[in-house]
Amino acid sequence: MTAPVRAGDNARLRLSVLAMVVVSLFAALYARLWYLQVASNAQAQVKVTNNQVRFVHEEAPRGRILDRNGKVIVDNRVSEAITVNRAKFNNDVEHVTRLAALLGIPPGILVKRMSDPRFSPYKPVPVATDVPKDMVVYLAEHQDDFPGVEALELTERAYPQGNVAAHLLGYVGEINDRELKDRKGKGYQLGDNIGKSGVELSYESDLHGVAGLTKFEVDAQGRVLQTLDARPAQQGADVQLTLDLDIQKLVEDSLAQGLDATRHSYDKENKKDFLAPAGAAVVLDPRDGSVVAMASNPTYNPADFVNGIKPELFNAMQDPNSHFPLNNRVINGLYAPGSTFKLATALAALDSGLITPGTPFTDTGSLQVGNRLFKNAGSRAYGTISLPTAITVSSDAFFYNLGAQFWYTRSQHGDAIQATAKTLGFGERTGIPLDSEAKGRIPDPESRKKLHDANPKAFPEGRWFAGDNVNLAIGQGEMVVTPLQLAQSYATFANGGTVYQPRVAERILQQDGKVIRDVTPAPERKIDLAPTVRNAILTGLKGVVASDKGTAHGSFIGFPLSSFPVAGKTGTAQVFGKQDTALFVAFAPADNPQYVVAVVIEEGGFGGSSAAPVVRRIMEGLAGKTPGPIAVQQGVD
Amino acid sequence: MATRAVSSPARTGTLGGSRREASVLRHLDVTMIAAVMAIAALGVVMIYSATQHRFEADPSFYLKRQALFVVLGIGVMALVASIDYRLFRDFAPALYVVTALTLLLVLSPVGKNSKGAQAWFQVGSFQFQPSEWAKVVLIVCVAAYAANHRGDLDGRRLLTLLVLAGFPMVLIELQPDLGTDLVFGAILLFTLLVAGARVRHMAVLGALAVTAVVAVFHFGLLKDYQRERLTAFLDPQGDVQRSAYNLNQSKLAIAHGGVTGQGLFKGTQTNLSYVPEQHTDFIFTVVGEELGLLGSGLLLALYGFVVWRMWRAAVLARDLSGTLICVGVMAMFVFQIFENVGMTMGIMPITGIPLPFMSYGGSSTLACFAAIGLVLNVHMRRYS
Repeated sequence: MTAPVRAGDNARLRLSVLAMVVVSLFAALYARLWYLQVASNAQAQVKVTNNQVRFVHEEAPRGRILDRNGKVIVDNRVSEAITVNRAKFNNDVEHVTRLAALLGIPPGILVKRMSDPRFSPYKPVPVATDVPKDMVVYLAEHQDDFPGVEALELTERAYPQGNVAAHLLGYVGEINDRELKDRKGKGYQLGDNIGKSGVELSYESDLHGVAGLTKFEVDAQGRVLQTLDARPAQQGADVQLTLDLDIQKLVEDSLAQGLDATRHSYDKENKKDFLAPAGAAVVLDPRDGSVVAMASNPTYNPADFVNGIKPELFNAMQDPNSHFPLNNRVINGLYAPGSTFKLATALAALDSGLITPGTPFTDTGSLQVGNRLFKNAGSRAYGTISLPTAITVSSDAFFYNLGAQFWYTRSQHGDAIQATAKTLGFGERTGIPLDSEAKGRIPDPESRKKLHDANPKAFPEGRWFAGDNVNLAIGQGEMVVTPLQLAQSYATFANGGTVYQPRVAERILQQDGKVIRDVTPAPERKIDLAPTVRNAILTGLKGVVASDKGTAHGSFIGFPLSSFPVAGKTGTAQVFGKQDTALFVAFAPADNPQYVVAVVIEEGGFGGSSAAPVVRRIMEGLAGKTPGPIAVQQGVD
Repeated sequence: MATRAVSSPARTGTLGGSRREASVLRHLDVTMIAAVMAIAALGVVMIYSATQHRFEADPSFYLKRQALFVVLGIGVMALVASIDYRLFRDFAPALYVVTALTLLLVLSPVGKNSKGAQAWFQVGSFQFQPSEWAKVVLIVCVAAYAANHRGDLDGRRLLTLLVLAGFPMVLIELQPDLGTDLVFGAILLFTLLVAGARVRHMAVLGALAVTAVVAVFHFGLLKDYQRERLTAFLDPQGDVQRSAYNLNQSKLAIAHGGVTGQGLFKGTQTNLSYVPEQHTDFIFTVVGEELGLLGSGLLLALYGFVVWRMWRAAVLARDLSGTLICVGVMAMFVFQIFENVGMTMGIMPITGIPLPFMSYGGSSTLACFAAIGLVLNVHMRRYS
């Protein structure tokens, strides 16, 4: 054995160096340990929690929409869907091909549907909806061949009454980025449905319900270990409308028939049939501003929007030749009111004391104002008449004169017609809880100047003349209104002067019928309507229908006026480059009004000819009669 | 003292005269054994925590196996300690040849490939990893060679030593197992330093090592996953899905422990298996999360204590070969502890190096016990 070789002093020195190295290495470990466990601990607590918890959001079924009698107009439907749970699905060629073959779609489409980013990885993705029952049965019997594939029942919007009241109801679609941003923190998620228009939009917060939320604990592979918390989805509340489903159907049918009949009647002036491409009809309850029916034609089917509308269909609706069926013309169609506006002119004249109900005026068939001659329709002369008769026969000359007189006495009465129009609600949105309502326009010297200054090409004349007042007095010129504003103004007159904000919903209900809240009528203001004033105008309006000189008389021959008296006013508005707009607004029963009906037919000719028969048919239904066929009358304003 | 209690002649083995053995056993470093046993026991518990949810059928599968490894390891430690280390030293060439042959053999079809490395022999349900044993053998061989030349390592001898050590390193890199090679490097570095290699030579070696590392990275000698793992700690905000994800989860688990920890078996990161390879390379994260700063700090203190006992044994050794054996073992432990713990905390690159006595694995546990046996051996024979 060799003598032991001891570590010398040199080795001892080197061992000391080594010891220092080791000590510093351990010190580094301790420092890092302290940094992580003490300094970063708070952050780590949060991150670890996020690590382990996943949320799965389940959209709640929407509330239903009912008519005023509780009939279900918009419901939910359970649709059988095939879904793929991506956490369990064997995503190889064999399984994808097999499933695609079952569904009858190309594998590429299946893969695309499966990777829909709207769905959480923990949520089954629907790859086929509305599948036949035998496919569901087949799937259940061959579950081993389709791991992770399940048949699920999905709820979607359903329309048991067909496409009735499409514009009022609106439609539902997938939430977009902007809507999602606007409703941040309100429980919406990508892929959710949201009301896009109509009641579906305005009562979205009631209809939407509360989404279900399941909190899962997951491991590093994303496998669900346990459910930490599950809040079931809560169906949205039902909205009960003021709409009467039967009246709505009656109004839609009448409008459609009226348009059809008008299209088959001859326009002597333009030497062709009327085009009558579109129209609007609305029925209000003047006693509280409730919308009883609302129809816009052409219309669309909200069911087309369920699960996403087909692009070609949507594009077709944007085509001008389709006359924009998505537009609700009752609230966003703008029309010159024509003679229906004489209500406002008459009120202004009587209220301001410009005339009294008995003030005579000799109608010679035309009126010279300055250097312009304003003619009656057909240049008919009505002789010496006072206001009620002027309304009944729709004497333009009488009202031309009022317009001219107001202009001459402007220093005394101001812009009285415009002021009255404003109090009746023209020129401002009614505030009906529906989207995209138009304001309309009441022209006056200031607005004329503003229009001209803003766009001199479209409005070459910036000055206001006596002739403009004359035109305004009979609802022509730059005056435009929505059919709803028109109905609202007659409702105000009918109920004795209360301007109601129109309402479409009566109450919000739970599914069991318990009332969550009532949507109360909203009287906005009261206008002065002296009995003498009201009676004089009412007499004129009754005459329009009842008197043989009345402009709507022909359309109401045979109508039971004695049991269900109707008062109203026709309008025939000239539109540059187009056939005349036909209007008729009426209320009934005349002495105790329950309904105001306004009908507008674009390019329909005389109000008394094409709009009044539609109103008559609606009134027949409201009077409890069986509505007859529409008969377009010949040329009366 | 406890030392006396166990050193009764009746309990000593049959090797050598009983009187002499008794005197050797009197110098047994019981405190180091106690510290090692404490770490190994903690390791078994932590492995159970990390694996109890793995097999529904047998939650304690890993616990039982690791406990078995520890029991076997104690036997190996006793065996290694009982044979005079000078005998190992004298038979170093034979040990070297046998080890080199097993390293060659594991690369042949006899060896088993697992997780991308051809590094195991499969025997029944157990796998043996010869590179773990090779570390211990290398320690003995390097110590023997250096001591034989009385610490006088001129350029030629140093080169011989490097070639001797380099051959098994090349074999190991062929598996590939970069981590074990790095341990080899650490053992070489510490041993050469203490053995009296010239400062000049060490500087050249250092320069060569740096060049080698740069070359390895630049010329694509590393597999992509290796490069990625090695550099993940430099950019923890990088690709979260892969290595950086693992690293972040590891750091998160440790940070989640705070001062007092989440409680034994209550680490959520641990229970939900967010940390990869948690019962092996990332076992420290279980300690960090469940036992907090107190527990992991104590574990590091135990390691520090063990390392100090090794250092002390190196200083007290009766000959240079004993000193160098202790230094080699110390190098192996220090490097493995620093690299492994540092890796889980994001200050060292990710390499597959086990944490001594803590990481699950038979070969590693047995090798560590054998290494401790060597130190005990040197320590208790410091006067004989």
